[in-house]
Amino acid sequence: MVLATALGEDLSRAFLQGLPPGSVYALIAIGFVLAYKTSGVFNLAFGAQAYVSAALYFQARLEWGWGILPALLVSVFILAPVLGLILERLIFRHLRTSSSVAKLVVAIGLTVAIPSLFDVLVGFEPVAGQTPTGIIPGGASVFYQPVGVYAFSRDELMAMGVAVVVMLGLAALFRFSGIGLQMRAVVESPRMTELNGIQADRVSAFSWALSSVFAGLAGVLIAPRFNTLAAPDFFNLVVVAIAAAAVGRLISLPRALAGGLGLGVFIAFANTFLPEWALSYPILAPIQDNVAPAVPFLVLFALLVLWPAVRATKEQADPLSGVDPPPPSLASHERSAGLTVATRVFAVVFFLTVGLVVFTQADVSWLFLVTQSVILSTLFLSITVITGLAGQISLCQGSFAAIGGFTVFQLSDRYGMSVLVAALIGAAVAAACAALLSLPIRRLGGVWVAIATLAFAFFFDAVMVKLPWVGGGGTSLLQGTRVPRPTIGPWDLGNDKAFLVLALVVFVVASLAVIQIREGTTGRTLRALRGSELASQSIGISPARSRVMAFALSGFLAGLGGAMLTMHQENVNYTLNFSPFAALFWLVLVVSLGSRTVEGAAQAGAAYALFEAIVLRGAVFGWIFRNTDRIPGIFPISPKWRFIIFGLGTIQFARHPEGLVEFNTRRAHRRAEALMARLGRSRAASPPEPDAPVTEESVP
Amino acid sequence: MTPILETRGISKSYAGIGALRDVAVQVGEGERVGLIGPNGAGKTTLFNCILGLLAPDAGSVRLAGDDITSLPVHLRARRGIGRSFQRIELFTESTVREHLLIAERVRRGNGSLWKDLLGRGRPKADELQACDAVLERLGLGELADEPIEQLSLGQGRLVEVGRALMTHPRILLLDEPSSGLDRQETADLAATLRDLQGEQGFAILLVEHDVEFVAAFTQRCYVLDFGTLIADGPTAEVLERAIVRESYLGSVKRDDL
Ligand SMILES: Nc1ncnc2c1ncn2[C@@H]1O[C@H](COP(=O)(O)OP(=O)(O)OP(=O)(O)O)[C@@H](O)[C@H]1O
Ligand SMILES: [Mg+2]
Repeated sequence: MVLATALGEDLSRAFLQGLPPGSVYALIAIGFVLAYKTSGVFNLAFGAQAYVSAALYFQARLEWGWGILPALLVSVFILAPVLGLILERLIFRHLRTSSSVAKLVVAIGLTVAIPSLFDVLVGFEPVAGQTPTGIIPGGASVFYQPVGVYAFSRDELMAMGVAVVVMLGLAALFRFSGIGLQMRAVVESPRMTELNGIQADRVSAFSWALSSVFAGLAGVLIAPRFNTLAAPDFFNLVVVAIAAAAVGRLISLPRALAGGLGLGVFIAFANTFLPEWALSYPILAPIQDNVAPAVPFLVLFALLVLWPAVRATKEQADPLSGVDPPPPSLASHERSAGLTVATRVFAVVFFLTVGLVVFTQADVSWLFLVTQSVILSTLFLSITVITGLAGQISLCQGSFAAIGGFTVFQLSDRYGMSVLVAALIGAAVAAACAALLSLPIRRLGGVWVAIATLAFAFFFDAVMVKLPWVGGGGTSLLQGTRVPRPTIGPWDLGNDKAFLVLALVVFVVASLAVIQIREGTTGRTLRALRGSELASQSIGISPARSRVMAFALSGFLAGLGGAMLTMHQENVNYTLNFSPFAALFWLVLVVSLGSRTVEGAAQAGAAYALFEAIVLRGAVFGWIFRNTDRIPGIFPISPKWRFIIFGLGTIQFARHPEGLVEFNTRRAHRRAEALMARLGRSRAASPPEPDAPVTEESVP
Repeated sequence: MTPILETRGISKSYAGIGALRDVAVQVGEGERVGLIGPNGAGKTTLFNCILGLLAPDAGSVRLAGDDITSLPVHLRARRGIGRSFQRIELFTESTVREHLLIAERVRRGNGSLWKDLLGRGRPKADELQACDAVLERLGLGELADEPIEQLSLGQGRLVEVGRALMTHPRILLLDEPSSGLDRQETADLAATLRDLQGEQGFAILLVEHDVEFVAAFTQRCYVLDFGTLIADGPTAEVLERAIVRESYLGSVKRDDL
């Protein structure tokens, strides 16, 4: 009897405790679904929007000393909708007819770009250990105990109150206002609604503004729960929102609400009961701390994999897309043999020169950066395979790379194995993990694959890394995850230049392998699958088998790159190198610069490691003037511009998935050839422009 | 003799609305059979059930006597069902020849990762020849190296037919191959298909809105209306019967894309 009461008390306390965060999750889930339903955009940047409002609120309250109301007004009710409108008007409205994967990529780019852009514009710097108080005085210190078992803080009551008011407001809006009715028509109808262009634009703009307000509110409400106000935490938040929204299959607002509340309560249960169970079952002890934060990711993954309804949910095409003409199609363009030779010669000369300069002139720090760029290029080839060849978005490449790195660490730390052998084993382990991961998700559609891999990345981050046999070897407590540099027979690659040579060799071998695969049957199969899954199946290609293969290959390259990076830095440095948020930037870079080619991966590697040093710190001027004192005064520019520039660079992905560099190269080639043709009065007709509008006759 | 393709009692409904009801069709070895019916009759749905893109609610599909109802799509394709699509399905960013080449390679089972890595995955001369031969016969020889995006809708349909042919099908399902082609091109396609069929002996199940094409090309024909088979028999007879129903033919004529 006593036991039963204690259990009942625990249950009801956990339930009440889960409601306030659950309300916030519900807010974001609903905001997320609103944007998704009206524009087909799987808006991962939702977390970034929440961050911006929370950060402005922080800045206004703590730095500028504003009161609660004006700060709230400006950050949530002015900044947020304006940001939403800008995103809709400048970006997503033009992508209506793009594929959902293309929109997702743009949203990922924005996730990376928006927080940095805000930080740079407002001059915001996160302060460790400091977050603003909530939106009510004494929010964290005054408690009420309306039901008995659990004392709500004012902040918590406020969060629930806001959620209730907002839901009622939304319901009223849908019922009584003109724009609300139109929105509801779009949100609730499974088919295209009969809106004309102007109405469609209005609905879409209004939904984005509204959705953005939801994001802002949630951001401000949740910020006090974080230790430090930093963008990655808000990115986690959006994954929670997606988990909640997935409960409603991303289409139902009421179920998204229920999903948010349910998830909050579920997490509270996990927090309450897991530690108790861990006491009685010692096996659970090492994971108990880490499982609770991973609950949303587990729920999300389980929903995607186990619940057929979610899997079967057709990807939301933009319901308004019928309003716009279809985008111009791509056209590939072969360059002439002469031009190919010319480019190759140029490339060889260029790289020999760079190599010579690096090997004779570069100091330690430049050597480090150049080596890093070569290693990252290898790692980015994994994105070339999975995204460029297979057309799938994987957001857990960081985890695969980390598996490579950790394997090297464990094998060398525990068994004293040669790190080079360990690196190969690490790559193989990563390939195996990738293949295993891809099995349950092999039937998911494009966007869902991205989300499932993201859930895995967060799960890996929250749980796996902390396990002793992953991130904590015998010595990790004292020394961190240290790894030695390799030696091959008499050569000690502890020497930076020697290691650079090794990195180059690995990169060249990996590139050749990727090129062989791309030109071989595997590459053709993947390309066919990317072009049309239906047609590929109809000629006997097994989509599942090809996908698993692509994941395994990609995992191998990522693991290899991760292992190399670990050896180079002589430490795994998980958080710095491989965390899910850090790895988002990889995808952004590769996609911006060119996910189809080895050159794209190499350029992305160089951009990651060298762009900041050469461009943002102004070193290039130092070289031009041969004098570092003459670097113009505006340098160094904030390194955050990397995120802004390449993040916004993904916007072109929708129109030119081959990437910025390749697009421009092709254009340059075309121009060069047109010029040569004109000079030589050749009879050859100039090839058509790729962005020339296609006639109705053409293939859609 | 066992028919090459046989469906028994296929039923399929979308969200409670019946699209096919108890449909049974048979196609004999080397036969040319038509499947006609107004828009929304369920013709494409039947094709999807035969190839396995849709799971029927009831009924079975047999290929040369074997029950293939539970096989995944790609295995059905490898067993000999070739298909073209009504809403054209091409491999974006590939050339015309690559469409056929990939089908040829898959058929030969030439695709191991190790071969690719050793540089043995590149197209071989005889594979290229086989593709070019089919392209020539479809009148696409000149376009072999064109990116697929440059083709007209009609040419795209021909590429689909060529791609399906490369799998050496035992039965070819064609979903409105003539839409987007003019009279002459349609006649050429019919002639080419007839020739190839004479050489390779595959059967054809043809969905068409162009009644003249069906009349000239097929030997037998099924009529589907609101998901139910309402007539079958020798094409000429069936069309005679159908012509009586003016209203119906009116909708048959409408070309829909
Ligand atoms: N994915 C789907 N979801 C719901 N209903 C569908 C779906 N696909 C087809 N239908 C419906 O099933 C019925 C049969 O469609 P189907 O495409 O098979 O007809 P069809 O005979 O090929 O027509 P058409 O001549 O226009 O190509 C139609 O009423 C159609 O609206
Ligand atoms: Mg049809």
